[in-house]
Amino acid sequence: MSLTSERLSRITFENVIPDVFTREDVGASQIWLRDFSFERGKHYLVEAASGSGKSSMCSFIYHNRNDYRGKISYDGRDARSLTADEVSGLRCQHIALLPQELRLFGELSAIDNVRLKNNLTGHFTEEDILGMFERLGIADRAERPASQLSIGQMQRVALIRALCQPFDFILLDEPVSHLDEANNLIAAQLVSETAARQNAGVIATSVGNHLLLPGKDTVHLKL
Amino acid sequence: MIITLLRRNISKWQLGAYGVACLTGLSILLVSLCFYADLRSAQSTENASSDYIVLSKPVSVLSVIGGGTSTANSFSGAEIEDLKRQPWAKRVGEFTSADFNISASVEFAGRGLSTALFFESLPDEFIDIDLTDFRFEPSQGEIPVLVPRDYLALYNYGFAASRGMPQLSEEIIRQVPIQIAVYGNGHYDIFPARIAGLSSRLNTIAVPESFMSWANERYGKATSERKPSRLIVELSSPGDPAIAEWLEENDIESSDDQLISDRTIYLAGLAATVVGAIGAVIAALAVMILLLSLFLLVQKNSDKIRDLTLLGYTRRQVGKFYYRLVIIINSTVTIGAIAVALIVSRIWQDALSSFGATGNSYVLVIASAIIIMAIVTAISVMACSKMIKRASR
Repeated sequence: MSLTSERLSRITFENVIPDVFTREDVGASQIWLRDFSFERGKHYLVEAASGSGKSSMCSFIYHNRNDYRGKISYDGRDARSLTADEVSGLRCQHIALLPQELRLFGELSAIDNVRLKNNLTGHFTEEDILGMFERLGIADRAERPASQLSIGQMQRVALIRALCQPFDFILLDEPVSHLDEANNLIAAQLVSETAARQNAGVIATSVGNHLLLPGKDTVHLKL
Repeated sequence: MIITLLRRNISKWQLGAYGVACLTGLSILLVSLCFYADLRSAQSTENASSDYIVLSKPVSVLSVIGGGTSTANSFSGAEIEDLKRQPWAKRVGEFTSADFNISASVEFAGRGLSTALFFESLPDEFIDIDLTDFRFEPSQGEIPVLVPRDYLALYNYGFAASRGMPQLSEEIIRQVPIQIAVYGNGHYDIFPARIAGLSSRLNTIAVPESFMSWANERYGKATSERKPSRLIVELSSPGDPAIAEWLEENDIESSDDQLISDRTIYLAGLAATVVGAIGAVIAALAVMILLLSLFLLVQKNSDKIRDLTLLGYTRRQVGKFYYRLVIIINSTVTIGAIAVALIVSRIWQDALSSFGATGNSYVLVIASAIIIMAIVTAISVMACSKMIKRASR
């Protein structure tokens, strides 16, 4: 398959385990050392205690790290066989990521952080972006340098940035760990809407504060 | 926006230092290259005779006692073979001397002048006048003679001035009828002769080789094999110090002070090469500064580079900023160095044009500056893309 044109419908884990884990570490995991597929259009909530490899899983899927044994494939295409250009295509067209550590550029304003991604994909208009800032209640922070925002505000900026692209899957690594319930609901609504428009899959991780995805059945997984 | 992000850690001092150092090195390199090229063109236009030297053996006390017939002053076959093997000797010609007696007389301005004379001949390819004027046909009987240009000067400024004789131009002297008496081996003949040309290369009175072999046959003693006492050598690399070394080793004299000026040009060329090499070293060190400061810059920005690739930016998109930076700096340096070299070269352009040489090394200077900096830029861009590749992992 060509990763740039067709849509990605399935991310498959075959017997995958992080290099640093042993068989005993993974215990009753539903993902590590199993054959498992994430499918487009479905919502997944991956619950886990700290240190059970949530961020590793996101990094493996996002092709950011490959320190694992086993095989991850995109519609049958082995992840390890992707070229650098295909990886950046994957990140612009198929898989969106909200990393746990957010990775905003502190010296850029909040909205410039979002533009940096949107310039690459051209997915939203300036109004769309401002609308999302509005909706998440951080419109008045848009021009502030990202380094001056609170973590909860940063989390919302990073979420908007993650949405600024076409995607088949969106990976949200503890997306609401610093949000109150009201904001959690708004964020979940926004994610769910955006994903539904593209019939995309949502994969959210959590150590306790779940993203409150509405409607649709959510597949709960233990890591 | 990428630019705003990556611009942060640029050290103006480091890049400025590179710019200045590279400009200095490249300018020195180009100036010496330009000087060297101009020197070469000056050398090749300066004097056609600079490519030729005439060799002879020194006259020693022994050869004087020997009565002049000694073979000590002539070159043996082995010596000539050795000479031909030298890398700087392109062609070797032997002077053939006359084995008979000659006297010449001129009826001129109402006075008769008569003198004993000598002739030498050498292969046609060493004659520096039009060969159609320099032929001997026994049937026509006229002997063309080639005289050193210096002789005319000697006559005009020495002899004619002191004796109250008219001075002669080159044109007139060609018209002067000369009677040559040749005798020996029981024959005596008188030939008409004329001066066919003046040579600045040959320091002898030369006649065509065809006349010499005919006359040596007829008037010569033909007793022994004749060995040449003088050789003319066309040089493939005038100024080569190996020439002087070989001459000294074999105790042979060169008639030509041209060697000295050639050696001067050679030494100046050598100096230019050394200076150029220093320039090249400075430029190379400057390139190292550039690579080092790029490395530091990429290193400092490595988190940003990783985050940008995580957003989906390709390495090429990230690298473009650095490549553009390198290209802008290097273009500035190239233009600056070309300007410096061309301005500095004006210092010697006047001196050069007085030699009749045209310093047209502009093209060379511009072309080599562009080629050198293109290579430097290519190396920097490649190194930079490697660094970015490493940083984006």
